[in-house]
Amino acid sequence: MDLDLDERTRQFRDEVASWLAANVPDKPMDSFDSAAGFAQHREWEAQLADARLSAVSWPEEFGGRDCSLLEWVIFEEEYYAAGAPLRVNQNGIFMLAPTLFSHGTPEQRRRILPKMARSEEVWAQAWSEPEAGSDIAALRSTATRTDGGWLLSGQKTWSSRAAFADKAFGLFRSDPDSDISPAAHPPRTPPKDRHRGMTYLMFDLHADGVRVRPIEQLDGEPGFAEIFLDNVFVPDADVIGEPGGGWRVAMTTANNERGLSLRSPGRFLAAADRLLELWRRDGDPADTALASRVADAWIGARAYQLYTFGTVTRLADGGELGPESSVNKLFWSRLDVELHETALDVLGAQGELRGEWLDGWLFSLSGPIYGGTDQIQRTTVAERLLGLPRGAR
Amino acid sequence: MPTDEQADLARAVRSVLARESGERLWPVLCEQVGVAALAIPEAFGGAGAGIRELQIVAEELGRELTPSPLLGSAALATHTLLAARDEDACKRLLSPLAEGHALATLAWACQDGRWDPASCAFTATPAGSGEYTVDGTAHYVLDGDIADTVLVAAQCGDELGLFEIADGVHAEHRATMDRTRRMAVVTVTGARTVRIGTGDFRAGLARARDVACAVLAAEQVGAAASALEQTVAYSKQRVQFGRPIGGFQALKHRMADLHVLVESARSACYAAGEALDTALDAESGQAAARAALTAKVYCSEAFSAVAAEMIQLHGGIAITWEHDAHRYFKRAHSSSQLFGQPHEHRARLAAGLLD
Repeated sequence: MDLDLDERTRQFRDEVASWLAANVPDKPMDSFDSAAGFAQHREWEAQLADARLSAVSWPEEFGGRDCSLLEWVIFEEEYYAAGAPLRVNQNGIFMLAPTLFSHGTPEQRRRILPKMARSEEVWAQAWSEPEAGSDIAALRSTATRTDGGWLLSGQKTWSSRAAFADKAFGLFRSDPDSDISPAAHPPRTPPKDRHRGMTYLMFDLHADGVRVRPIEQLDGEPGFAEIFLDNVFVPDADVIGEPGGGWRVAMTTANNERGLSLRSPGRFLAAADRLLELWRRDGDPADTALASRVADAWIGARAYQLYTFGTVTRLADGGELGPESSVNKLFWSRLDVELHETALDVLGAQGELRGEWLDGWLFSLSGPIYGGTDQIQRTTVAERLLGLPRGAR
Repeated sequence: MPTDEQADLARAVRSVLARESGERLWPVLCEQVGVAALAIPEAFGGAGAGIRELQIVAEELGRELTPSPLLGSAALATHTLLAARDEDACKRLLSPLAEGHALATLAWACQDGRWDPASCAFTATPAGSGEYTVDGTAHYVLDGDIADTVLVAAQCGDELGLFEIADGVHAEHRATMDRTRRMAVVTVTGARTVRIGTGDFRAGLARARDVACAVLAAEQVGAAASALEQTVAYSKQRVQFGRPIGGFQALKHRMADLHVLVESARSACYAAGEALDTALDAESGQAAARAALTAKVYCSEAFSAVAAEMIQLHGGIAITWEHDAHRYFKRAHSSSQLFGQPHEHRARLAAGLLD
């Protein structure tokens, strides 16, 4: 990024770059959604943690470096430019950890974060359910009070990393009267506030009563799983925030800037640079239409970086991310698909063979779906940024 | 992100625009806000501000498609002169421009409208004692029929040179689809003149075009943002099937996509201004040129998309003359062509990036 960086930031960037240059494996690892790849990525995370680079924006006491948002963006740029492995514990580091910083107890942070930083515990998310996808407030899995804790029952799905992860976090309906599903209360009018009576809980994927059924994604790897829960005991210590107040806990960190919403531009800049290399190697200079698309992908990655930098500056001045995160999501999800489609077109027939571009393309297809579909994001932009009337979802 | 001073500048321009229009507008903008002087160094009677400041004014002017000499005179012609690094010419020509008492224009493009520094519409022949004879016809010359100073880019042997033409200029106003952009055809026949600056001027001309592209991109951003705001406002007020049409998801999502486009175009545009203002050496100069072309491509396409959607989302009223939508649509088209079409800049970028 072309910025006037202060001395501390420059030193940090140089340190990150030289550490990565010395440590990033030459050969790409297997996909972290395969058993072997998962283990390789777990080891890599421990190596990152030894250099205190696995969670740079966390406080130092938990293995981080207290990085500012700008430093985090710079870290990410260097990380992806170096071709470093994808982050197997991103659900934990970028979603659960910010939740614990905002709503967790000191005991929870001490117990959970250090193991997360080293990926001794890898986290899966457990938000969606068969009847609750985009409409997450329709979830039906339950948490029932018992001595010293809660019993979880129900079914979660599309749980990223759950096939091989150790633990998971998600929302459960802890007040049976708040269940709005027609099956629960056929004759009654649903209560007005669908968001009350939910509790944010963490649970062990290897506990009694948990069954995980991996689901192969379109790349053939089990990138996510179904989780069946049958009276799974969770101690009170693993509730985040107040029982019944889970929706608020989930929403305050759903837009976390270091997570999916403000997805680091470094990722796309690095991909755009690889696309340029690919073009120089394999592109047909006479094909000006394709050359234009390559240039466009580069322009798009650059525009995304610039837009994100504007957001980072706004946040550094004390602003909040808010619904603008939907703009980011819409931007990068489309950019990622277009960039990979262009690469495959440059590769031509070779693109049909298994390789990083094909894998990247298949992965990019999920971008407009996970973390809130692009349709949900557009509704957010329309209603909350443009002030258009709310309507039926 | 605009600084406080830049936000003040935008407010000042906006307040003049709210009060003045027509022929009075430009003199008031020059006297009260000093817009013509902005990007002229203090040594030549200017305010010593940067391209970013010109962009801020252009963005405000773009919102209402206000016609003004900002682009042709204060951006393109002024930066062409500055790029020539001829102190005497700058001293002589820039201070009347800074005061807003005179307008300048650059005649460069051939009929193909490519604004390519490798080619230009005029030829210059040495006529002895440092003088030259200039001939040729340039098209798409901004404010060419009302400019006080006409600069021309002319092929001069193997080199490209910059010349000021005082006499022997024939400028003819041309009717354009976009009535808010004043253009002329400028013919020069056997004019005797002196050269401005020395050495091949191709790089200077490219730099001036990049500045103009960055300023035009800002105008496009202002126009696109305003076109979207008007569309959103209309969709909240227009009722069909018993509810405002803006509540229908099919329309909402289209406007949400346009918002993403406008905001990212804005970022690309600001970044181009900053890059041009801070470019010091060859490497950062090349990055700035790339940023300017990126902005021009991105903002042209964003504005074109918004203007086309403005028409569709307004429905029948938008295909009437009395509604403003067609004005935005026409400006989107004309500004996309001006200083080179997106596909040409994309090819330039591709050549730089892909070789």
